[in-house]
Amino acid sequence: MSGLFGAEPIDQLAIWVAALATLVVLGGMLGERRLFGWSQHLLAGLATGYLALLAITEVIVPRLVEPLAADPGGRPELVVGLGLVAVTAATPWLPRVVGAVPLSIAIGALAAFALGGAIVGTLLPQLAAAVARPEPELAATVASAGAAVVTGLVVIGFLHGSPRGRIVGAAASGGRWLMLAGIGGWLGYLLLSRLVILIDRLAFLLGDWLGLLS
Amino acid sequence: MNDLVRRAPWLWRALLLLALALALLPTTDLLRLAGSLDAADGMVEIVDDLPPDSLVLVGFDPDLGTYAEIRPTVRTLLADLLEHDARLAFVSLTPEGRALAIAERARMVVAEVAPDRLIDVGFVPGAEAAIVSLARAIDAGGDRLVAGLPDEPIALGLIIGGNDIGPRSWVEQFEPRVEGLDLVAVAPSVLLPELTPYLESGQLRALLATPRDGAAYRESAAPSALGEIDGPPPLAVLLGMLVAVAVLGFAVITHVGGALRSSRGREPA
Repeated sequence: MSGLFGAEPIDQLAIWVAALATLVVLGGMLGERRLFGWSQHLLAGLATGYLALLAITEVIVPRLVEPLAADPGGRPELVVGLGLVAVTAATPWLPRVVGAVPLSIAIGALAAFALGGAIVGTLLPQLAAAVARPEPELAATVASAGAAVVTGLVVIGFLHGSPRGRIVGAAASGGRWLMLAGIGGWLGYLLLSRLVILIDRLAFLLGDWLGLLS
Repeated sequence: MNDLVRRAPWLWRALLLLALALALLPTTDLLRLAGSLDAADGMVEIVDDLPPDSLVLVGFDPDLGTYAEIRPTVRTLLADLLEHDARLAFVSLTPEGRALAIAERARMVVAEVAPDRLIDVGFVPGAEAAIVSLARAIDAGGDRLVAGLPDEPIALGLIIGGNDIGPRSWVEQFEPRVEGLDLVAVAPSVLLPELTPYLESGQLRALLATPRDGAAYRESAAPSALGEIDGPPPLAVLLGMLVAVAVLGFAVITHVGGALRSSRGREPA
């Protein structure tokens, strides 16, 4: 089943804890809210502790403290970063213009990476792929043309409020229906995904916990 | 179509119930998660073509909520790569991915996989910027932000997706910066609509993103103690389907009952 547990007594204890937590969460669906609420608190506490541990052991100590301790003058970018962290921590006592600098840099850098990557890695290649072109096989050519038509109709579907005639109006309506069909398909995958997770939990309860399945 | 929906609102719900009931026919083959073997041909071909002692970069960032769906496929794929004498360098860009990577590595260590086959690059903070750092480390031969990555050519990039930073982010940030390195991915089915265009455009060389694809891959792989060839047992699938049908059926019947009561309330006395 999950395969994360061995045969030691501590593993058996872990299986029991996991099984009880699973039953508590499934019980939340049937209306048992108090225990479900406690399980949420447990999850939040464990996640916070884990994140703190991860930040200390894999980020702050090896990437900041150790390099600075080994060579204080050799890593100016770390000193600048440390200064920005200090400014963030002292934001309540600093002028707003100064306190906004670290946040602005963080948001700007994030947007630059995300936007640049989306244009180079997604938008341009997908636009190129959406152009209908002759393929070696007839079916592939038809599929390519179909993809281009669907792309065009969905784009036209976003023409809200602009003046349009009967043909453009019909195309926009068709585009919106196609978009709805796409969203419906995505919801179907979401349902399938959640169903598989439910099956996995049942397999865990029946197999790992109760030992009814080999 | 709108007229049909208005005149027979029960039709769609009945069709939904019928489809769900068909899935419960007492034939075990219907409960087997398996599909056409060619669904996994791309991945099988790439794994088979790897030269011995290849270094595979594993971007391990699944989501705790959906990992159960891809776990058997991921385990079989990792076992298959080790069977092909590859070395796996695990890197995670999200805390959840790091936790699951630690658990999977621990499982492989317990199964006595040679330590030099498993390289732990660790957690790299910074989301998209972390992928850029990795790309620089690989392309330029070293980056101070990424420690632990061997200074040698990487044969394949395997992305285990599900989290915010997944195959799409790798295609957007990594692929334009590192030439000649194939990216393949395993992701939960909810990401299939997002990732299929990358597969079609060739930015992803192979993708396993549905239980069917995963089952096809597991059927094609050699049995191994490390893998999870069988997938979920039919009894669990049957119970899960029954629970899902019960929940959906209850919701539909409640909704239909409410609609009938409100329509009778509108009838003139």
